[in-house]
Amino acid sequence: MIKRVFLMLSVILMLSSCVAVKEYEKVNLNDPDMILADKSSDRNISTFHSYREAASGGNGGKTGGGCGCN
Amino acid sequence: MKTLISLSLLLFTLQIGYSQDSTATYKKRVLETTEVDFLTSYYTQDGENAAVSGGIGTEELSDITAAFVVSIPLNDDDVLTIDAGISAYTSASSSNVGPFDGDGRANPYNASTGASQGDVWANMTGTYTHNSDDRNDIWSAKLSVSSEYDYFSIGVGGSYSKLFNEKNTELSIHGNVYIDTWNAIYPTELRPFAAGGNGLNDILFTQFYTITGNTNYNPDFKTFGNEGRNTYSVGLGFSQILSKKLQGSLALDFVLQDGLLSTPFQRVYFSDVPDSFIQDFHLADDIERLPDSRFKVALGGRLHYYINETFVLRTFYRYYFDDWGITSHTASIEVPIKLSDKFTVYPSYRFYNQTAADYFAPYEEHMSTDEFYTSDYDLSNYSANQFGLGLTYTDIFTKFHIWRFGLKSIDAKFTQYDRNISLSASMISAGFKFVLD
Repeated sequence: MIKRVFLMLSVILMLSSCVAVKEYEKVNLNDPDMILADKSSDRNISTFHSYREAASGGNGGKTGGGCGCN
Repeated sequence: MKTLISLSLLLFTLQIGYSQDSTATYKKRVLETTEVDFLTSYYTQDGENAAVSGGIGTEELSDITAAFVVSIPLNDDDVLTIDAGISAYTSASSSNVGPFDGDGRANPYNASTGASQGDVWANMTGTYTHNSDDRNDIWSAKLSVSSEYDYFSIGVGGSYSKLFNEKNTELSIHGNVYIDTWNAIYPTELRPFAAGGNGLNDILFTQFYTITGNTNYNPDFKTFGNEGRNTYSVGLGFSQILSKKLQGSLALDFVLQDGLLSTPFQRVYFSDVPDSFIQDFHLADDIERLPDSRFKVALGGRLHYYINETFVLRTFYRYYFDDWGITSHTASIEVPIKLSDKFTVYPSYRFYNQTAADYFAPYEEHMSTDEFYTSDYDLSNYSANQFGLGLTYTDIFTKFHIWRFGLKSIDAKFTQYDRNISLSASMISAGFKFVLD
């Protein structure tokens, strides 16, 4: 099982090397709306989700603790 | 097999080495100048399944939040971020921790005027981030403190990110530990039945109120011995540029919690215990009792696509499960639309569903012989739809100033959230970003 996971990760990493976008080609990727995270102004919405919903995590945000929620 | 793995590792190592060499020629400051974000929101909700009154009663609540996030460049490589926030709420259901206030008949659908009708949560977090010269290695350390009347928390955390493949690929790991402590508050009518209490001889029952229904009210109530709650989390992240217009990420989080995971003021009613009332309020048979550990796993993925100069597509999906029997799916889509250089609108939709925890049952459906029980509908089976509409104003020239800080952007957003059971919520949030001249 561990070998399979390791092999899969290795293949993913090798595949990633097939696509190497140069810095000067990243103008579209550098658009603020392309950032791979919630906007900072959305964090209070995420906080309310962590209070009202059982699920948390997996989104780069808080995963629990620090409040009487979740 | 071993040969294949060795070959993979060799290729991977060579790839990292090549990438690092190609990007170490120019060093730009990580953060050019001090930035200040002011974030605020107003949240309101209503429903008829309050956990405080055992799955029935008003869930009306409003909350106002304000926070400052100050990011200070300490030098070319290091940034210190101070995040200080405060949140004040009033809650009709929380007010019914003590529903017998002498101001009208006690009823789970009405708010009372007790001390528990509101609270203030305050938080401060400091984060130190260090970037390597080639910006391919990023370390951070975090310390946080938060407090509310019945809850106190200290948290520490750290993360490490590695970029390679000409910054097309990023791997990261982060960990957090929260050491939390409850100051447990119990429902008013149960307190006389805790160890050392007077039971039915308490002044609440002898002088102020008369019990109706089963007048021999005698709950088997024990307070929690351990009021600590610890949370340990480890997360792995992987992000990848897939083309000049497409990038995605995966995040895998493992969270272990132990200690007092029940909320001490949430009532439970048993179907095999006769009902007792004061006025129109059903007296608690017990408070919720949940296991003292919980293990949670969340796997989330994002995919963002730059369609053209006007449209961007942002998508997110998360699968979650825990050892309380809850599984959940979350999916969201947002399509930022650039109206001009300065204005962007953000229509969004989010779908969420979850299965019920093994320990959940509605009002008066638990048995007193159960080991664990809760009637908190946040742990029930439901789905929710959320619609949002945001507007952002951006001024890259920061013409408007407050003292030496120029306004860089304003975000405003309205969000409407509806469960397929009774709860509805809405939020107005805003963010103001300033940069120091």
